[in-house]
Amino acid sequence: MVNGYSPKSLQQALLIRSKEAVIPYAGGTDLMVQNKKGAVYLFLNKIDELRQITDDGEYIRIGAAVTFTEGLKSDLIPQIMKEAVSRIAAPAIRNAGTFGGNLGNASDKADSVLIEVAMGAKVRLLSVGRERIMPVEEFFIKRGNTALADDEIIAEILLPKDKCSAPFYYKKVGGRNALAISRVALAGVYEIKDGVIASFSAAAIAGGGVFQRYPEIEAGFIGKTADEIKANKSEYLKAYSEKLTFARGRVSAEYRKTVIMNLIGDYIDTL
Amino acid sequence: MREICRSIKKKDHDPKIEGRSRYLADYNLTDSGREILCGKLLRSQYARARVKGVELPDMPDGYIYVDASDIPGDNNVNIVLDDTPVFARETVEYIGEPIGMIVGPDEKEVSRLISETKVDYEALEPMTDLRKADKAFFNYEFGHGDVEKAFAEADRVFEEEFTTGYQEQAYLEVQGMMAEPEDDGKMYVHGSLQCPYYVHGALARAMGTGPDGVHIYQDVTGGGFGGKEDYPSILGCQVAVAAKKANAPVRCYFDRREDMEFTPKRHPSLCRYKMAVKDGRVTAVDCDVIFDAGAYSTLSAVVLQRGIIAAPGIYDIPNVHVTGRALKTNTVPCGAYRGFGAPQTFFAVEMMMSHIAQALGEDILEFKAKHYVKQGDKTSTNGLYHFPVPIPAMVDEVDELSDLRRKHKEYSKPQSGRYRRGIGLSTYFHGAGFTGSGERDIIKAVAKLHKYPDGTVEVLASNSDIGQGVRTTFPKIVAHELNIPLEKVYYDHPDTARVPDSGPTVASRSLMTVGELLRRAAIKLRNIWVEGEEQEVEEHYKEPDFMIPFYLDRFEGDAYPTYAWGVNAIEVEVDTYTGVTNILGAYASFDVGTPVDYNIVMGQMEGGFLQGIGYASIEKMDYDKNGKIWNRSFTDYLIPTAVDVPELKVTLHVEEYPDGPYGAKGAGELPLVGAAPAFVAAVEQALGGAEKHPLHSAPFNAEDVISELNKEVK
Amino acid sequence: MDGIKFVLNSKEVCYTGSAADRLLDVLRDTYDMKSVKCGCKEGECGACAVLLDGVLVNSCCVAAGAVEGSEITTVEGFRETEQFKVLSNAFAGLSAVQCGFCIPGMVMAAQALLSANPHPTDDEIREGLSGNLCRCTGYNAIVNAVKNAAKEGEGLW
Repeated sequence: MVNGYSPKSLQQALLIRSKEAVIPYAGGTDLMVQNKKGAVYLFLNKIDELRQITDDGEYIRIGAAVTFTEGLKSDLIPQIMKEAVSRIAAPAIRNAGTFGGNLGNASDKADSVLIEVAMGAKVRLLSVGRERIMPVEEFFIKRGNTALADDEIIAEILLPKDKCSAPFYYKKVGGRNALAISRVALAGVYEIKDGVIASFSAAAIAGGGVFQRYPEIEAGFIGKTADEIKANKSEYLKAYSEKLTFARGRVSAEYRKTVIMNLIGDYIDTL
Repeated sequence: MREICRSIKKKDHDPKIEGRSRYLADYNLTDSGREILCGKLLRSQYARARVKGVELPDMPDGYIYVDASDIPGDNNVNIVLDDTPVFARETVEYIGEPIGMIVGPDEKEVSRLISETKVDYEALEPMTDLRKADKAFFNYEFGHGDVEKAFAEADRVFEEEFTTGYQEQAYLEVQGMMAEPEDDGKMYVHGSLQCPYYVHGALARAMGTGPDGVHIYQDVTGGGFGGKEDYPSILGCQVAVAAKKANAPVRCYFDRREDMEFTPKRHPSLCRYKMAVKDGRVTAVDCDVIFDAGAYSTLSAVVLQRGIIAAPGIYDIPNVHVTGRALKTNTVPCGAYRGFGAPQTFFAVEMMMSHIAQALGEDILEFKAKHYVKQGDKTSTNGLYHFPVPIPAMVDEVDELSDLRRKHKEYSKPQSGRYRRGIGLSTYFHGAGFTGSGERDIIKAVAKLHKYPDGTVEVLASNSDIGQGVRTTFPKIVAHELNIPLEKVYYDHPDTARVPDSGPTVASRSLMTVGELLRRAAIKLRNIWVEGEEQEVEEHYKEPDFMIPFYLDRFEGDAYPTYAWGVNAIEVEVDTYTGVTNILGAYASFDVGTPVDYNIVMGQMEGGFLQGIGYASIEKMDYDKNGKIWNRSFTDYLIPTAVDVPELKVTLHVEEYPDGPYGAKGAGELPLVGAAPAFVAAVEQALGGAEKHPLHSAPFNAEDVISELNKEVK
Repeated sequence: MDGIKFVLNSKEVCYTGSAADRLLDVLRDTYDMKSVKCGCKEGECGACAVLLDGVLVNSCCVAAGAVEGSEITTVEGFRETEQFKVLSNAFAGLSAVQCGFCIPGMVMAAQALLSANPHPTDDEIREGLSGNLCRCTGYNAIVNAVKNAAKEGEGLW
């Protein structure tokens, strides 16, 4: 076809990707809005290997070309991810948009990527004869920029299973109830063992080109009881308030800061 | 309800739902089989600059450039004044102002040529701050009573300032027009438009042909809401100039971003109100109304007139002084949008009355109620409310729908949790039909019925069906009077070559005014009906006898023959963590007289109400200091989706108007007008009331809520 | 080079233009499917919604190459079905069609919704139509029309 490749298998796709200057195309919902002149697409939407959701015992593996709607129907996808994905845009976009595309598009407002960051998920990248697995947080460098090499494609997203059934917090704030990009969002998972916090994460969409997550603050939650944390809520909030950054944007920094701090407080309240 | 109210299947239902209706972008070739050239506008990058020159790239064969020098007639678009050019004169006055147009067979190639065209500008200082703007296109003042004395004698005087923002019509079909030179030398112009004869007048002048040299047809139009009142005249002239030079059909339709950024919107406003209170009653109002007109005056005169006439609201206030100005800024010209100046001033007056009630420790509903005008009272312009004012009964109806009174009391109590509730009320009118004497002195509407030998009857009028249903309701009226089946009466899209000028499709006038002409014409035809013969009847507008003549120079007399009335209640829950306001219920009673088709009228009411809710809440649009609009796509300018509101609860109150068909009054605009004050008052109550958080702006979105709450912390 | 083969309203077609072209433009310009409306080209309005292998998508956000081997249904194809007639009657019964520009996309969204969920609640209907902007109706009439269609067309979905 003109300006495009429609490989029948993953191997074929990798081969084309290694030789041609192509843009990997999964759902198209972001690419077609950008509609780059002269773009040559590598269509991955019909490659079966990229359309599976599987459980390997350690990870729930989401194929890059799995659509949000497919994810919502799967029993393997954790609830926190479903909540986030169910609030992406509207049905027609969720039917086409994919997990791999959401990550590859390198938007700092990507709802499924926020969850991946909060869960400490990994991404599996493939090129001819090579595989790389790296944390999503590392893969996503900043808005518009990922660690994807020119010959690679995103193959799978790996959600750690121990985080899939953990209690979680998720709240998205958009401009309206559908067809809305996150202005602010907060996602976190935590585990309580023997009455104390055993693991804790909090990842934020608040503008500025990145997903913000601060392990040094999260470490301060470990080993504490929920009551101890609540009693020291203002300390935790202060720590976040000092760390979080709010670049200028269309939605005011004052708004984003106030709301994300409110949500962090709410998250603590729900522990 | 009367028989005429019974809902029928809309005449344009099948072709629209089956996807067979042909909107402007759907033409492959012209009807005469000719290829259509694509036109794209070369737009100013500056808010104010002298255009020193335009350097075109190499133009391939078949591609041409047109600008002001190609205009055969006047470079003035006939709107109200003559300041709007077809293509830019020596200076450009706003970002996006059309300098010229490139025309050719291939759309992508035309886009490339536009992007490679260089314009040499000498930048000039633009005015992009309404508060500093000093050039008034229009400056009005009127009043009655002795305002100074009332203020001097007042127990208390209140002064507040209110602002409202842009609102984009956001019709789903963008603006588009096409011009086709015809064999007989005439220019045929058609497209997505509301007012064929406005376009006709503009074309006749710009093309220098006089009225017979052009004719205008309305294509199926995907929504207007006022946005296609004046703008198609401008775009129509541009494509016609291009078609003339190319000697070929030229079509120009915008993409969404172009449409959002560069076509007219609702005027942002700044209203300063001062009210005197004596013995618990408002005794005087002094308001200064400022509208941001943008770079050219277009429709601002009439928008401002309607706005200031409504400025004192529906309250019986003995002493009134109103000033109104439409100021020039170097921004996109504002124009018509459903409500036409009234949403701005009703927002101000409704909030003001509510604030005063709260300051006096009175119940808002009762405080408003004791000021409502009633039949026989004087209007703000010393006209009369000739007909009953059903507001008190309508408030009761809304109370029944919403439990307004109980909730209002309940939500007045202190609230402290994360989620807080409020309910707001607005009570208002919309003057039915044109403001002032325009209908009598300028429009002089004519409508005809043409009967064919087979007994079918064609409605000949110039009103466009833009979704509101006149292709159904006009024939319905005629069939009803002739007592023939509806299938025997039809109303095509108007072509000025075939139909008389029954006026524009604006001001909620079509059904009330032209519908009445058709009703009378149908009676006339019924009386002379001869089976098997071709017959035609004609009716002319006559001003109702009861009208007190209106004088625009001093704003005296009946500005409107009658009024449509509205009562809205909106109930909200504010999330104080995120500022997001959830609408729990939106309730309304609307009096538009007799609904000439219940479903069609309800569709107007519900649709208009939701546009008003959008205006009140999430529809934010603004420009930066360079005069550039921030919100220029559906991603940045949010309108309500199906999940942003619950089912709207709307009821009709019928106060029949004797001079409208079967008692119908103006309908289309009313439902939008009162949503903003009801919504913002609800948010204000949820935040703890005006004492804590007096609100003065619409829209009021999540960011505004948070910014308001942050004032508590500071 | 081969063209892009797909089934459009039950007919096999082969598109020989660029695989990067928008499906929206291909449907309108090459195959004259003018029911498919362009409202924004950014996936924000739903006016161009069609069914792709039975699933609702915005055709402005689909590249032609992505439909190789797929089946596309637009109103031109759907209007021949019983389901369409039921939907059309239900919309007519409430005068839910005003300007009409959003309607073909809205009808396809309704069809996708009812196919997946023949007995939707009001909230589910609103959710199912949430990607289709309508500026005319305030949505009441459309939501109720879909509800009525589900009732009238019991067994069709």
